[in-house]
Order: sequence, then structure tokens, then C-alpha cells
Amino acid sequence: MYKLLLSWRYLKTRFIALASIVSVTLGVATLIVVNSVMAGFVDQMKNRLHGILSDVEISTQMFSEIPHPERHVEIIKQTLGDQIQEATCVVRTPALLSFDVRGRQWTQQIMLLGIDDETFGKVTDFEPYLTNEIKRQSFSFDLEEEGYDQEKFKGDAGWKYRRTRIEIQQRIEANNREYQSLYDNAANAFYDSEPSHVEQATHQTVNTQEGQGTRFAPLPATLPDIPPVGQPANDETAVKTPASTTAGIQAPTKTEPQGTANGAVHRISPFDPHAKFRPEIRSEDLFDPMKDHRTGIILGLAISERKAELPSGELENVYLIRPGDDANIMLTTIGESPKPVIENCTVVDFYSSNMHEYDSSFAFLPLSELQQLRGMIDPMTGQGSVSTIQIKLKEGADLNAVRDQLIAQFPPNYFPDYDIRTWQDTQRPLLSAVQMELTILNILLFLIIAVAGFGILATFYMIVVEKTKDIGILKALGAPSRGVMSIFLAYGMSLGTVGTGVGIVIGLLFVKYINEIADAVAVLTGQEVFDPTIYYFSEIPTVVNPVTIFWVAVGAIAIAVLASVLPALRAARLHPVEALRYE
Amino acid sequence: MSDVAPTHPLRIDPESKGDNLIPKELHPGQGSSKKKRDAAPLRIVDTSVMSVNGLFKSYGKGAVQVPVLKGVDLEIAEGGFTAIIGQSGSGKSTLLHLLGTLDAPDSGEIYFRDQRIDNLPARQQEYLRNREFGLIFQFYHLLPELTTLENVLVPRMVQDGFFRYLKNKRSYRKRAIELLEMVGLSHRLTHKPSQLSGGEMQRTAIARSLISDPSILLADEPTGNLDSENGAEVMETLTALRKHENLTVVMVTHDRQLASQADRVIHLVNGVVAS
Repeated sequence: MYKLLLSWRYLKTRFIALASIVSVTLGVATLIVVNSVMAGFVDQMKNRLHGILSDVEISTQMFSEIPHPERHVEIIKQTLGDQIQEATCVVRTPALLSFDVRGRQWTQQIMLLGIDDETFGKVTDFEPYLTNEIKRQSFSFDLEEEGYDQEKFKGDAGWKYRRTRIEIQQRIEANNREYQSLYDNAANAFYDSEPSHVEQATHQTVNTQEGQGTRFAPLPATLPDIPPVGQPANDETAVKTPASTTAGIQAPTKTEPQGTANGAVHRISPFDPHAKFRPEIRSEDLFDPMKDHRTGIILGLAISERKAELPSGELENVYLIRPGDDANIMLTTIGESPKPVIENCTVVDFYSSNMHEYDSSFAFLPLSELQQLRGMIDPMTGQGSVSTIQIKLKEGADLNAVRDQLIAQFPPNYFPDYDIRTWQDTQRPLLSAVQMELTILNILLFLIIAVAGFGILATFYMIVVEKTKDIGILKALGAPSRGVMSIFLAYGMSLGTVGTGVGIVIGLLFVKYINEIADAVAVLTGQEVFDPTIYYFSEIPTVVNPVTIFWVAVGAIAIAVLASVLPALRAARLHPVEALRYE
Repeated sequence: MSDVAPTHPLRIDPESKGDNLIPKELHPGQGSSKKKRDAAPLRIVDTSVMSVNGLFKSYGKGAVQVPVLKGVDLEIAEGGFTAIIGQSGSGKSTLLHLLGTLDAPDSGEIYFRDQRIDNLPARQQEYLRNREFGLIFQFYHLLPELTTLENVLVPRMVQDGFFRYLKNKRSYRKRAIELLEMVGLSHRLTHKPSQLSGGEMQRTAIARSLISDPSILLADEPTGNLDSENGAEVMETLTALRKHENLTVVMVTHDRQLASQADRVIHLVNGVVAS
């Protein structure tokens, strides 16, 4: 009883000791804030990585292939039994993406993924990251009429945008052709005419040229995002190398100046001896860019999106390419003699996982399309091979155990080309770096609390010296050494508990209002604490882990108690007579 | 213990007293009973509550040892008022500390109720100090953080565990207030020692020494730090209490006039008993 009473009285009368626990409070609060924010970042990052990478994958080198993927999936499902939820086959290949920006070719490297639109979304978090809300509900590689992010694209995406764009383009082309024919006529007239007519002809031509402006259909002023006349954007003109049959049919519009505006008329030479063997071509079978689009491709958002800082300091998103525009992909076939292949695609949507690494390089095509392009379909069986099999496990399955099971099923000495990894293996360098960072940070912050511990030790030592006589009195009255010791241990413990408790409260409040605090700091200093263009977080993610808080509290209290052990031992060892004589 | 402490019959069979002295769990057991038999012939008076044989004590270390007690023998009668008188440095305070087991002698034996106490384990000595001996010091030695009432209750707090103390708190408080009334401090219950006069502090210390119903009161110059008026008051209180509680009192003093109030006066000269 006297222990508690005296501890309490010392606590009430010795404010210097309270000052020494402020550092404990600060240390604990900092630890909690740092841990929560770091855990929030890591958690968000892990979630995304995990979602993108799926649980376990069997992959081979990108220019190699896994044959008979259906058989593989069957075996995997047998091996894993009820641990497996879904598996999907993916073809991965590096490729070049090129499209037209202001009449110039923009080319960049991408990682092309051929995905099975039925199963891919079940294995990875794919659909939630799409920008089109209709695609998020039911996925397809078709261009949508609407559903594109109004805030991002301001309506300039999808079919409507495509039709407007093509219409303008065709008008420009028609004008160009008309101008060309006028010019040709004038030139022909000039060269065909008598020399005496030269002056007149020249005059006529000039006149004609002056009048041209009124003959061209006026461009609607409201049409958005159109390159200036004379620099036709991609689409028709870009199709120089027909890669598919439709492109081949469509191509002649470029070379035939007399062709109609939409370029859908195909002329069959009357002298073609095989004409009657050819199927009749109906106009609805022909590729009409107003109604049809090419192979759908989904691009990572960061390939197109650029954040531009306006002179006013505001950030604006600008896009190099929008859903509805066409782009070319260039890749090589696999096999003994890889050959380059070019395919014309239409961007149907963007993929935005907020992981820059993926958003700036991923592009998705339908699996069968990519298999065909790369020559991965066996001409005998018609079965396509793949480069990766991604597996999603059921909740609670042990990742590493599953991986080991799969390695046992596909032993490396028979399948040296297979690489079986969990998502954590794939991202190990990143994850371990983050873990290391967190560990070091925790050690450093605990050292702060340890420093506070030495402060407590010094303060307590002083208090024990000051209280020597009281200790003598207690011993003279029959208090055991243990009891005297526990006065000071209880004192240290209560200081540690108070410091830790206040620290936890402050830390949790800080974590709870961290975004408000960040805003306040931004207002005060005029600088954004977490720049959303860099971190992709509109607000700071935090995860409060009760286990962490528990251990922080235990650690801090333990340090406070340990710091009071030495003074308490000194107090316990005091000789009663000497202590009583102490002045 | 409550059956032993409040009123001592004048004559008690020493053997049975010895067994009751320390609760069973703290009883020294075999070794001490042998000592008891050895000590038996040295006993002079049956009513002696404490006896000391050939006590030596010196302070300092190694070559510069200063002998303080050089073979002290004495007996303290049950219920008596013994004064130990001597000059400064004659070793009287040291003798009192040895009697109160606050310090250990270099050689010699101290018996309390026929039981050797100078070599008991610390736990049993603590028990004796807490329950059997009431200690009063020249400089009062009150705890400055506690009120008068709490200071008086400290031995009881030391004695009981947390819950047991809470259980008995009411009766302890009653007794403490009663004692403070006896020493004339009932109006000072919630004052801190710093707010009390020297005489009041010493009277608080007397009340504290009696809270555990001890059988012997060891006072080390209780009036040494007080003026004659306050000193006389304290002595009066002490005498009155001695009669009321039927206490054995051992008082160390250098004041012959004070010593004259005692039943028996022991002169300590140069570390030995002179008379």
C-alpha cells in the first residue's frame, strides 16, 4: 500500500519526472504515426501488386511458349484440388506502340498482354481498374458509346468522338482531293494549251485557288481536339501496311483520287479473270471506320495521360491518345525466325491501377488475337500456346506451399524453362526494401524512446538520492528491500504508462486527422505535403495495426521500467542506519 | 499477535512467549532453539524482555576501525523504563540501533524474549521492527510527502498487503486517530510534517511508533532536538502513554534530568556499561 501511496505522491510532487516522460510520449506518438502511414502505403501497394500479379504464376521466357495451356490448367487444378479458385492463360510480350500525335509518330515500348476476357478478370484485379464504367460491369474489347470518365476526357472518348473525328478527317481528305484535282486540271490545261493561252490559264488557276475556301465545307467550330488542317491524324493515312484483310480492302482509297469520301467502294477490275470465283463483296462487310473499329486494345493510362501544369499553377490532364483513336502495335512472332508484325488497333479503354510501373507500360489485347499475331497457334490442332498461366487461390491458401506443390508437379529438371513464382517472389526486391525501411525506421524511433529511458534513469537516480532518508525511515519501520524497490519500479512504470498512454492517444488522433493536418501544413507552407501527381494518392493511406500499437506500448513501458531498475536497486541496497543519517 | 501486544501480563513463561513471538511461517526453527538452550544460563531475571551479551561494534574499514561498543552486557526489564545515558560518541545510539536490528553487531548476542535476533534473516528482522519495536528518532524522521495521519499509518501499510490494508483500513484509521488524540494532535490530521512544529512532529512520530502495538519502544534522544518546554511535553506524553499502554521503554539520552525519570539508568562510558 505504501508503495502505491508513495509512488503517487512522488508523481504528484516531482514534475521534473513528468518532463522526462514527454520524450516517451513523443517517441510513442511518432512510432504510431510512422508505422500507420508506412503500413498504409505498403498495404495499398501490396494490394495493387497482388491484384495485378495474381497469387501464383507459371511463366516462361517471353519469346518461348507453354504449349497446351488447357492441359496445364487441368493438371494444375488436379494438383491444387480445392485450393485453387481460378486460373487464366496470358501471353506476354514486349512490343512497340505507335500512334499519331500532331501528325508525328509517337512510338514507345510497351508490355503487351494477351488476356482471356472471361477468366482474366477473375484471377486478377483487372476490371476495377478500367476507366470505363460499362467495361467495369461487363468487360469486352469493344469500343463503348459512353461510360468514359467524364472528368478525364470531357466527352472526347468513345464512339461519338471517333465518328466526329473520322468525319472531320474524311472532310479534310475530300477537300484535299478536290484541291488536288483542281490543281491537276489547271496544270493539265496549262500544259495542253497553246503558249498564247499560258497567261490566261495561269490567271484562271489563281482564281480557282482563291475561290477554294468557299467551296470547301466549313469545319464546325465546336469540334474538339482536331489537328490543324493539312496534318491529318492517324487513321486512314496511317494504314500503309495492310495487316489484315479489312485493311487491305480499305487501303485503295488512299491511292484512288476518284474514290468516294468514305472509301468503302471497292472496284473489281473487269479484266480480272478470276472475278467470278471471288465472293461478292457487299458494302456492309467492308470496314467502315464510322461503324467499325479495329482490334480493341486497352492501354495503361500513363501511356497517354500527361499532367500539365498550367501557368496558373493548376494541374490539367492532357492525353496523347484517347479511346476511339487508332494505334499500331509492332511485335515479333515467336519461333525459329522471328518476323516483325504490325497490327492496327483501336484504343477502347484505359487501365489505371495507380502503380506507375504498370500503368506506363501495360497494354491488353484479346488472347486469341495476340496468339494469332505471334504465330502461337498450332496449325495442326488449332490450339494456341501461352507464355504465362496465372492462378488465383482460395482465401487462406498458403502461397508458398502451393508454389512448392506446383514445383513438385513441374520439376525444374524436366521443365527448366518454367518459372513458378508467387507474387511476393516477383516483387521481393521491392517488398524487402520496404520492409527493411520500416525496420530501420522502427529501430531509430525506438532509440528515441531509449534516450528518453536514460532521461528517466538520470531523473530517478536524483530522486532516489533525494529520498535516501525516506528510504531509511521505511526500512526502519520494517519495509523490506523489495518493497522499497517496488516503490521506484511502480513510479517508473506509472510514468511509462502515462507517457505511453498519452503518446498513443496523440498518435492515433494524428493518424485519424492526418489528411486534415497535411492540408493545414500545405496551407501554412504553401507546398503540398503529398503531391498526388507523384504518389497517386488523393489522401494519405493509413492502417492502424493494434498489434503494432500493443508492442510499441509494451516496449515503451518496458524501457521506462528498465530505466528505473538501477535507481530502485540502489534504493533497495541502502543501509537503514546510513540512510537515516544521510543529510 | 494481537493477543500478545496490547497488554502484557507481568510474568509470562519465557518458553511459550518465545514460540509466540514470531509467526510460524517466519519461525527460525531448529537453529534458534539450540541457541536458546545455550543462552539459558546467562539469563538473570525472568522478566527481562531484552538482553545483550558482549556486544562489540566498530565503524570504518580495514586499518582505521573505530571501536564504538566494546563488550556491552545489559538486561531490559519487561514493562520498565530504562534510560541509557552517556556522552556523545559513547556509542549509545549505536547500541539502540543494534537493539532495533537496524544494524548488525561485530560480535555478541542480542536476545528478545529469549530469542536471538541479531542474526535473524532480514525478513524476520523486518517483521520485528514493524510489529514488536516502536522506534522514535531525534530528528523525527517523518515522510514529508505524507500527512500526519498517513505518517502514523505507514507501519500498518508496510505490514499489510494492498487488499488486506484496504480491508483493515477503517480500524487502523480509528486507532491512528485515537493515538493522535492521545498525543494531542487530533486537530493536525491532514497537515504535512513541514507545517508542524518540532514537538508536534515528535509526537506524530510517537503515535507512529505505537500504531502497530509494539511491545518495546526504542527512543533515540526523543527530546534532543527540542527546546525544554517542548521536550518536557514530549516526555510527558511518553510517560503517560507508557502507563496507558503498559509499554517497555528504552530511551537513549545525554540529559541526566530526563534520565532521572527512568526506573533504571544505564551509564555507557567509552563503549562499555559503567554501572
